[in-house]
Amino acid sequence: MSRAPLDGIRVVDLTMVWAGPMGTRLLGDYGAEVIKVESPRQWDLLRALGLIPRDVPRWYNRSAYFNHNNRNKYAISLDLGHPLGRQAVLDLCAKSDILVENYRSDVMDNLGLSYETVRAVNPRLIYVSMPGHGKSGPEKDYVAYGSNVEQLAGLVSISGYEDGEPMKTGFSYGDPMAGTALVGAVAVALRKRSRTGEGCYVELAQRENLTMFVGELLVGYCLTGELPRPMGNRHPRIAPHNVYRCAGDDRWVAIACETDDQFRALCTVMRRPELAEDPRFIDAVARKQHEEELDREVAAWTAQRGHYEAMYILQRAGVPAGAVLTTPELVADPHLRATGAWVEHTHPDAGTWEMEAPPWVLSRTPGHIRLPAPGFAEHNDWVFRDVLGYDEKRISELYGASVAADAPDESLHR
Amino acid sequence: MSRPLEGIRVVELGTFVSAPYCGKLFAGYGAEVIKVEPPGGDIARAHGPFPGNKPDPEASALFLYLNTGKRSVVLDPRDPGQREALLRLVETADVLVENYRPADLRALGLDYATLSARNRRLVMVSITPFGQTGPYADFRGNNLVAFAMGGQMYITGTLEGGPLKNGGYQADYQGGLNAFSAGMLALLAAERDGTGQHVDISVQRCMAPILEASIPYYCYLGQWNGIRRGNHMASFIGIYPCADGHIGIHLMPRNWKPFLDVIGRPDLAEDPRFATQADRVAHNDELMAELYAWAATETKHDLYRRAGAGRAPVAFVHTMADLLESPQLNARGFLQRIDHPVAGEAVYPGPPWWMGPGDWDTGRAPLLGEHTEEVLGGLPR
Repeated sequence: MSRAPLDGIRVVDLTMVWAGPMGTRLLGDYGAEVIKVESPRQWDLLRALGLIPRDVPRWYNRSAYFNHNNRNKYAISLDLGHPLGRQAVLDLCAKSDILVENYRSDVMDNLGLSYETVRAVNPRLIYVSMPGHGKSGPEKDYVAYGSNVEQLAGLVSISGYEDGEPMKTGFSYGDPMAGTALVGAVAVALRKRSRTGEGCYVELAQRENLTMFVGELLVGYCLTGELPRPMGNRHPRIAPHNVYRCAGDDRWVAIACETDDQFRALCTVMRRPELAEDPRFIDAVARKQHEEELDREVAAWTAQRGHYEAMYILQRAGVPAGAVLTTPELVADPHLRATGAWVEHTHPDAGTWEMEAPPWVLSRTPGHIRLPAPGFAEHNDWVFRDVLGYDEKRISELYGASVAADAPDESLHR
Repeated sequence: MSRPLEGIRVVELGTFVSAPYCGKLFAGYGAEVIKVEPPGGDIARAHGPFPGNKPDPEASALFLYLNTGKRSVVLDPRDPGQREALLRLVETADVLVENYRPADLRALGLDYATLSARNRRLVMVSITPFGQTGPYADFRGNNLVAFAMGGQMYITGTLEGGPLKNGGYQADYQGGLNAFSAGMLALLAAERDGTGQHVDISVQRCMAPILEASIPYYCYLGQWNGIRRGNHMASFIGIYPCADGHIGIHLMPRNWKPFLDVIGRPDLAEDPRFATQADRVAHNDELMAELYAWAATETKHDLYRRAGAGRAPVAFVHTMADLLESPQLNARGFLQRIDHPVAGEAVYPGPPWWMGPGDWDTGRAPLLGEHTEEVLGGLPR
């Protein structure tokens, strides 16, 4: 079997919650050895967001939210605020290729773990920070959580129903986009290292990464002086382009005709061939102009069909259409199942269930789930003894000073 | 100074948004990106918006943004002679990025089997709504369809308003970013092993697992509560209209006190209805009424600065004008002025991440076919 793309790359993972852990998990999916560091008193919040009753033994190891985003990692406990913990993480950095952190912009400096400090122990290390606003600028210390990032990135101002108020996404969208970008950033930095022989500092500001996703509207505003507005599911130039209610409770199908041929096919499927000849709908300009009437015609047809049914009928005729899928439908979707998007997974504390496979299909070096998510501090012994080469005395010092622990302080996330 | 991807040649057979965004990132970090356009050009050239609302294939904002730093070569792959020129170009490439429908690419004789036979080092990155195999592989898709089938649409908007896509081309951008990260991994492996591979990016498969905790909760606990919640996950996580725009708050339990200090309402800290996060959930509508009344009295810039100083997670909804004027983005050099001979000067955001001085650099987008002679003339004979 071919070696994974990141085989032999060791990552010190100081990230928590979603953006960082999802990104380092992707690094693990494609072969990196990721060592997650949690403090006994400041451990990953996602362990507490698993909806697991607190009287279940090791409830903090059973959170699916945590376990999906932290598979393919090892975990150790270290309090970085203590000199012994700081020294241990520096020792780990000396033997690693990548460090990733997503603390607020001042935290690593305050811990005495700035890039300059870490570089002094390992000039080949690539040090990645993932702050909300960046490490510089007047807003660097502002607090921005999940939903704030998309507000700052300009995305919310252009989202929403037609002529309605700006609308948030349904989730903390900036987080997984930063996690996805992390892999690209690390890979580019690894190539840079192979050319220069040296590591570098990478700064991935989450609001900037997401602002890239509306760039054409910023350029457009400069060129036209017109502020783009929310336009619902419609498109500036083509119609029909919307979601239409189907039979069943809250079931919908998305339909977007990009060409006259596709529109003719839609009319044929609806058994309304005369609509394709109707002057109101004869070309894209006319259809856009009479979009309300057109949407009513389409909705009258979809209302009599299930959303999957409408999608299949339309796709067979060459019309771009997709059922609006719920989470249970995504997990059951025949295409996602047939292509291996969900895989059965077993974890020593949490049991057996299905989770997402590595997302990208690399034909020669596929991703793998090699490790279930680590329990809290599960790999202290291996990392302290075998990776860092610490002796018994050193290890008992860490435990004695509560810098390391085998169980987390549960009072943090009761 | 040399950029990190210098020496890499990328051929982009990309249309519209997803593959062009991937190619843009390669170009920004130093790869030579050769965009192969059909005789009429990438359809993004016809999209706009255009200065003065006058359509011009050289002045479409969508094209100009997504194709910075690339070279443009016009080739018609349906013409046998030009197809052969394209294949000779691919022989010189490290990476090919494309977003054709798999059946269409096969019909052109440009599938992975054909291309890898001519260049075994080639990393071919394919971005499609549903991937290269499986029952939907040759379905027709686009941003809207991917948004529906990837699950993000169902949870966006209000229950009564119906599923809603996010603004712009978010599904396409997600495809492009995933493709860049995956393509870079394959490029690292190719430089190490001397062998390329086919990278298959399904936008649906990239989108479906990232609905926050929805997939983990459903798969592990069988719990699913996926209704659309409009602008409020709860009263304390959501968007409120203010005097001159909209503001957004995202308050975790530890942010409650700092937030009340910023808005000058210490009385609410004493209010037993709002004492703990659980209390605030239990009295959600009452708290929301308080927050609507309060937000209407605020102006966005002033509140944002006060909240920043007081370490409360409050932001305001930035319009394109707000982005252009942002003290933060301007101080960091994230807004770059790029001139263009037809469209003129505009502000372009970038880079998506910073690596070192000079590691990201983008020139303007190319004119249609601007580099055809130069690139084809430079191919080995």
